[in-house]
Amino acid sequence: MSEVKYLTEFYHLPEFKNIDGYKKNGGYKQLEKAIKMQPQAIIDEVKTSGLRGRGGAGFSTGMKWGFLPKNNEPRYLLCNADEGEPGTFKDRMMMEKAPHQLVEGMIISAFAISSKKSYIYVRGEYDDSINALEIAIQEAYKAGYLGKNILGSGFDHDMDIYRGAGAYICGEETGMISSLEGLKGQPKLKPPFPAVQGYLKKPTIVNNVETLAAVKYVLRDGAAGYRKYGTEKSAGTKLFSLSGNIVKPGNYEVPLGYPLKDMIYGLGGGIKNGKKLKAVIPGGSSAPVLNAEESERALLDYESLANMGTMLGSGAIIVIDDSKCMVECLANLTYFYHHESCGQCTPCREGTGWADKITHSILSGKGRMQDIELLIKIADNMKGRTICALSDAAALPIISFITKFRDEFEYFVREGKSKVKGTAYKGHSHAAHH
Amino acid sequence: MQPTTNTMVKCIINGVDLEVKQGTTIIQAMYDNHQKIAHYCWHPGLSIAGVCRLCMVEIAGNPRLQIACNTVVTEGMNINNNSAKVQEAVKWGLDFHLINHPLDCPVCDQAGECGLQEQYMEFGQYNSEMAEKKQKKNKVVDLGPTIVLDSERCILCSRCVRFTDEVSKTHELGIFNRGDHAEISTHAGKELNNKYSLNTVDICPVGALTSKDFRFRQRVWYLKDAETVCNGCSTGCNVNVFFNKEGVFRVKPKHNESVNGHWMCDDGRDIYKFINKENRLLKGQKFINGSWKAETHAGVAAKDASEVLKSATADNTALVVTGQLTNEELNKAIGTFTTHFKTKNIFHWWPHQEKAKEFDGLLIRGDKNPNSNGVIAAFNQHGISTQFSDLESGLTSGKIKNLVVIGPENTPVYSDLDQKIELFAKAENFIFMSSAKNDKLMNINSLKTAIVIPLKTYIEKAGSFTNHAGVVQSFKKATTIVSEALTATEAVTLLTGQNLQIQILDEKQLFIAENKRPDAVTLDNRKKNEFVFQRGKM
Repeated sequence: MSEVKYLTEFYHLPEFKNIDGYKKNGGYKQLEKAIKMQPQAIIDEVKTSGLRGRGGAGFSTGMKWGFLPKNNEPRYLLCNADEGEPGTFKDRMMMEKAPHQLVEGMIISAFAISSKKSYIYVRGEYDDSINALEIAIQEAYKAGYLGKNILGSGFDHDMDIYRGAGAYICGEETGMISSLEGLKGQPKLKPPFPAVQGYLKKPTIVNNVETLAAVKYVLRDGAAGYRKYGTEKSAGTKLFSLSGNIVKPGNYEVPLGYPLKDMIYGLGGGIKNGKKLKAVIPGGSSAPVLNAEESERALLDYESLANMGTMLGSGAIIVIDDSKCMVECLANLTYFYHHESCGQCTPCREGTGWADKITHSILSGKGRMQDIELLIKIADNMKGRTICALSDAAALPIISFITKFRDEFEYFVREGKSKVKGTAYKGHSHAAHH
Repeated sequence: MQPTTNTMVKCIINGVDLEVKQGTTIIQAMYDNHQKIAHYCWHPGLSIAGVCRLCMVEIAGNPRLQIACNTVVTEGMNINNNSAKVQEAVKWGLDFHLINHPLDCPVCDQAGECGLQEQYMEFGQYNSEMAEKKQKKNKVVDLGPTIVLDSERCILCSRCVRFTDEVSKTHELGIFNRGDHAEISTHAGKELNNKYSLNTVDICPVGALTSKDFRFRQRVWYLKDAETVCNGCSTGCNVNVFFNKEGVFRVKPKHNESVNGHWMCDDGRDIYKFINKENRLLKGQKFINGSWKAETHAGVAAKDASEVLKSATADNTALVVTGQLTNEELNKAIGTFTTHFKTKNIFHWWPHQEKAKEFDGLLIRGDKNPNSNGVIAAFNQHGISTQFSDLESGLTSGKIKNLVVIGPENTPVYSDLDQKIELFAKAENFIFMSSAKNDKLMNINSLKTAIVIPLKTYIEKAGSFTNHAGVVQSFKKATTIVSEALTATEAVTLLTGQNLQIQILDEKQLFIAENKRPDAVTLDNRKKNEFVFQRGKM
């Protein structure tokens, strides 16, 4: 099976970045169509299309929109472009290569939910994305797609960019709302959910870049047309960011349900330097790891991966070859989550730090055999106990790495050195810095 | 955050059928019904933070544990927090709280009343597996004039931050940094300095925030506490005073939704300072024939005063009272003067009258007396309408010869004290009843005859105050600081020449059955307590 060019059809054209090139290739046609529709009809179309959130949770987009209260209260549309999940770089490409695709998708979505103001919350490091979006928004204003009385419809909409400051937690939707409000980027208690009480305590919809861009295609092809790709429950195409020990890393658009094996050995060109596949993290660093055997049979859709105990997440596929030490890989992840926990909820604040210290103790050859079980216990008690999913995101890799590669952990504790590399960890201990 | 509706919903919590107002959270329902639930960040007077993750409950039909503080009770909900699943979660929740906690209980002021200690005794897992190095954080951080912070002890429950945001609205505090290096601190250029700052110490569940005034002064288990009312202003906050035989050490607010909610002001916490012995008048004093005589017993001083007052007539006698007396004392004193001395020359000494309506919007009021309304009511009841200026002219002209003044207890808020003492000293016979030491009186050259009678402060007696809103609040005697001092009622009784009726209790009355502990220190029990005797030989 091969790649499909659905959302990415014109990404190879440099002029697709600008409004003229974008319009030449069908741009803003769907907005012109949408603005004459009943907003509810658009929501219904999105609901029937089976489009699901591409940021990681995979929740039905149309259903999320349906949670908005049916009144005239002001409401906000926020685009989550914070793309912080390690291994993920698809939104960046979409914003750099096709900023108008996102802008158009957002105006249509805003019209559907009757929002007069939207923000794109972009990861602070994404200079090129921010520049491209800024130009695109200006062009859209000039062309009358944004501002007052869009295309004579009476619908007003303003769009702004907000630049994040590099916190992973601000990619969590309520953390992002806090950050946008000018507060410390910390997730908020739910309920109330953002659709009821979000940004500035008003009803708010937060969608990922890829989700909002796809709305335009749902309108263009209709719900049935959109469902041409993908599976019954995981409709449409998805962009995957392939990275790690792979010959051809990069972003690939494939229909959902695509075999992971084809992604690695077909599109990705196989494992680098003739090494063998050892493990794959299929959905960004928070997704439980798959071993080689599982990776060979995994299908890239929400249900199949969930059935294998992992998740599709943001679509970041991290390939690990057999020369890598899994203890070291896990320590890299525990360090990340320790660094990124916002510190609000106790199990996450203390658990991420504790797990990081233990993993680094093992790495430096000072591990105790009971530490392996202790790590699992810590992770078990971090899972599902906090306001947001960061704690789960930190816990799941711990559990999956240890259960699937326990021999490597036990070897490290017993011998004081890596089973794969034959040495103890030589780098500095990150944990010691905190 | 109490719901305002009256619709009720039924639920079951730990097998107990309950009916609660619609919109009530599970934790509130449990709190109201005295069911135990571990929690740190939730406080009934603050918004919900949901961060300590300890108040886990299991709700039938929901596979995931929920936090009780942010879950509203719905009809038919079956809730428990005693299943093995919940207990395991709470144990781990506590362990997470403790892994970076310094466990310096032996030198921590909070020990004995610490949320961590208490909840660990109740729910802890007792075998911590933490073997890594603990996080290092700032210690002995001077947050402002009243409070010191130890960040390592802090469990980041955010109660203090929410207090300064929501209650005092002074916004001095925040949580800085992320993850396990997050710390409470003041915002740049600010210090924690507001009239309500010490409430943050009360609500701090651990020993992170300590009061500069109280820290290192007493172990809390050496203190007893008693409920009373603050007499610092006309709000009349309900408080607990903490004391031992050396005196009162601190004052903390006690919840009363209709008076002070959960809070009190920092000024009110200083009231113990005029209650304690070092600022008290301990003995009766007498100035006669140009010199101060040897100190006497309070009762003797009162008897001497009654001799002086034998020649008093309705016209040449006056009484001065303040809003610091209890309603009962006011009625006794005013009643005695109108009937026994037949005088209506009774005056209200009230330096705060003009400021009485001032209010800071939360608790602090301009009238620094707890019972000005009581004085007004007593005056009305006894048909007294006088102007303080009449007293001034009466004393200056020499018309008023005998003056009895029942002075204020909280002298620091009587800024005109010295000036007034000078005025009162013009009387030929000046009888001054006071609980507080007074240096001014000792140094007035023009003094004729003066008798000083030491009084008890309000925590040493029972009574009631009528606050600014007309709420009558009764309080019991908390403790005795100056045993020899008299209550105003006793002193006034003695002034009339009568003796005090002292009720002598027999042992049965002294040891009321329900108050008597089985191990009470009685001779019989001490004889039985072999451990006490064996210890000497060991």
